[in-house]
Amino acid sequence: MKRLIMAISLIVILCIGVYSVVYMEQEIPITYDGRGTDVYELQQDPYDYDLSDPEPDGVASIIVKENLAKTQAVNNVTAIVFDFRGYDTLGESFILLIAITGATVILRRKIDRWGGGKNE
Amino acid sequence: MNKKWKRDDLIVRSLADSYLPIALILGFYVILHGNISPGGGFQGGVLAASGVLLLYLGYGFRGIATALNMERMHKLEAIGAIAYVLFAMLGIFAGYNFCRNILFDSGNIGDVWSSGTIALMNYSVGFKVLTGVGFLLLLVIALLATESGHEHDGTISTTEHEELERRKGE
Repeated sequence: MKRLIMAISLIVILCIGVYSVVYMEQEIPITYDGRGTDVYELQQDPYDYDLSDPEPDGVASIIVKENLAKTQAVNNVTAIVFDFRGYDTLGESFILLIAITGATVILRRKIDRWGGGKNE
Repeated sequence: MNKKWKRDDLIVRSLADSYLPIALILGFYVILHGNISPGGGFQGGVLAASGVLLLYLGYGFRGIATALNMERMHKLEAIGAIAYVLFAMLGIFAGYNFCRNILFDSGNIGDVWSSGTIALMNYSVGFKVLTGVGFLLLLVIALLATESGHEHDGTISTTEHEELERRKGE
């Protein structure tokens, strides 16, 4: 009985996977892969960069083209890291905090032997 | 024979003295110009935290223990994390969603103060990484200094000459 349920559920998952692959092949539009962007020209002169593109390409294109209008930050990477993906940076910085706290907890006996790191 | 060996390298100390301001200024420059030039909070924080290593190379463990406070640096790191969350919650206070950039048009494009909360979050992350990595380096140096092979005050006999003299003395 258990094996039957397992087999049925695996078959259902396989069918869903095949259906999603076929759907993505047919329906999902092609996203921006950076093929047409002249990075050097964009970095040298972000105000006069040619924004006209024959076909629109997704969220990444919006981030690249409307960055100055939306955030006014010249550095595009900082705009993405701190504005468009602010949650991501929040998690990263908390990971750093937790890692350092873990190192402190593991090495607490040796730190006590030193005197807690206080000034003398 | 005196068993307490102090690190007294004049050349290393002079170079540490002259390179420490350069390292700190470069780190703070990268943090401050994170929104208008390549770099940002993470990179600039790590650059500025290398000043701890320069201080250790020049003055040994005793100099670090009198100049920096370990527990205070750990608390300042938590303050940086809280500042990041507060700058992200400015959007909630103004009636929008979390991480909303509400001050983005308060400056001119290309200035140091532009792009609103991006710059503020950048500064808070830079402060947080500076204190966090500095605390981690201090932790490593403290563990090295309190190992049984070294002296009590953390000074390590560096050159072979000193090692030979120590063996002669014993």
